[in-house]
Amino acid sequence: MIPDRIIEQGTLRTDGARAAVEVRIPWYRALPGSCIAGATLRIDGVDAPAESLRWRMNDREFTFAELVDELEEWWFPADSAVLSGELPVAADDADHEVEVGLQLYIPYIIISDSDVLRIEEHDRKTMKAVAA
Amino acid sequence: MTTLGTPIQGVTLYSFTRAFHAREYDLEGLMRKAAAEGFGPGLEIIGFSSFRGFPEVDPAYAERFRELVDELGFVQTSLAVNADIGIRRDRLMTQDELVEYMRRQIKAASVLGFPIARVQISLTPDSMEQLAPVAEEYGVTLALEVHADQYASHPRILALRDRFEQVGSPFLGFTMDWGATTIGFAPSLLEAYRRRGASEEMLAAVVDLWNRYFEQGPPADQAEHGQRFGAFIGLAAQHGQPEFGIDFGINGTGIFGPAPVDDWLEIMPWIRHVHGKFFGIDEHGEEPSVPVRSLVKLLVRNGYNGAISSEYEGWHWNHWQDAFDIVRAEQAVQRSAAQDAGSRMLTDAAEARAALAAHLPVVR
Repeated sequence: MIPDRIIEQGTLRTDGARAAVEVRIPWYRALPGSCIAGATLRIDGVDAPAESLRWRMNDREFTFAELVDELEEWWFPADSAVLSGELPVAADDADHEVEVGLQLYIPYIIISDSDVLRIEEHDRKTMKAVAA
Repeated sequence: MTTLGTPIQGVTLYSFTRAFHAREYDLEGLMRKAAAEGFGPGLEIIGFSSFRGFPEVDPAYAERFRELVDELGFVQTSLAVNADIGIRRDRLMTQDELVEYMRRQIKAASVLGFPIARVQISLTPDSMEQLAPVAEEYGVTLALEVHADQYASHPRILALRDRFEQVGSPFLGFTMDWGATTIGFAPSLLEAYRRRGASEEMLAAVVDLWNRYFEQGPPADQAEHGQRFGAFIGLAAQHGQPEFGIDFGINGTGIFGPAPVDDWLEIMPWIRHVHGKFFGIDEHGEEPSVPVRSLVKLLVRNGYNGAISSEYEGWHWNHWQDAFDIVRAEQAVQRSAAQDAGSRMLTDAAEARAALAAHLPVVR
């Protein structure tokens, strides 16, 4: 729906071991943590290991396993979340290609007796990294 | 003979999703912009889109919101709420959980001052019957949205209509969404596919397939809907561009519905609210894929005095045109159509407020 906005331009941060980027919801309305089905973070063609990914929203940090049961914290359409993972990126003046994949459940669209619509969106942007 | 209706002009802020999402406007800024454009007096908002923390609403916030509505000369119509029955990962909500989930949103509509809550097809006739006393308690009419791939004479909608009649609560009704009765794919959507690299040959085939379904009429049931969805996916694969398949399926069946305009007569007495869904305005100042003039005429002739929220949805794919320009042009078509039908759209707030109060049940 709004995949071109997933990655916030110019928000790539690194502490040398982990990289983080701000992301926006590619949907028109707020969704709770339980509807954030998964994400991928790839920088310069290298994927962050899935188990190292963390999701920060509303000043709370989650693993994706923790998001499964999260019904209290919601991702509001005007707010950024932060996706981070173990990826060594240098805070030099070089351009980095950042790719984020995002899977969301749309909780009011029921596609069978038990299944909820799951959408997958993807964005790619080039930016410099800033030291965290 | 039915007295001609005078529908209330209005807008849903959903039309400006891209601007809000881009932080060009916050909620107050967007309301001020819509008011300055004269897109009201009717104002519709999606709870989960525009209110942070929804459905919890702080009473002091609600008071400020209602003051802003009054200052800007809006008349609140519908708060769009969501039946999120798939919010948990382990199972769907139970009926009791769903009723409680909806109660909080219906209460929010009441606190914020909306007389209507737009609800969705994931609510069954049983859910709606259970929610009728909740709607009456809060004085909020529940208007279930009839949206493609459903349509007025779809078995699920008729089952709801029959239950509304049986329950007899004036607080149960429908929202008519014009996307159920379109007459073609939007040219801007085809242009968006073109920009994404779709071949002209494939686009021509997609248009042909949709037109064939239009000739056949809307799908009889969910099984036929599924077959059509699959045919769109198959078509993209046949043309060697399978990456377009799901998108063709979603838009070809769920956004551009092929039911005839007269189909709405099946539920006309239960229509409490209207989503004037549309996708763009052409060089002649007309909507090429939604029969806006026929739909307004149908409402006027059937004495409809509720609101029509202009609901621009072309923003899903149209990143290159301004939503405010497009809504302005579409509302001109609506006003012209109402005049052609021997009536007019209400654009005065006081007149609209009185009309909406008379259109909806009396709140105790």
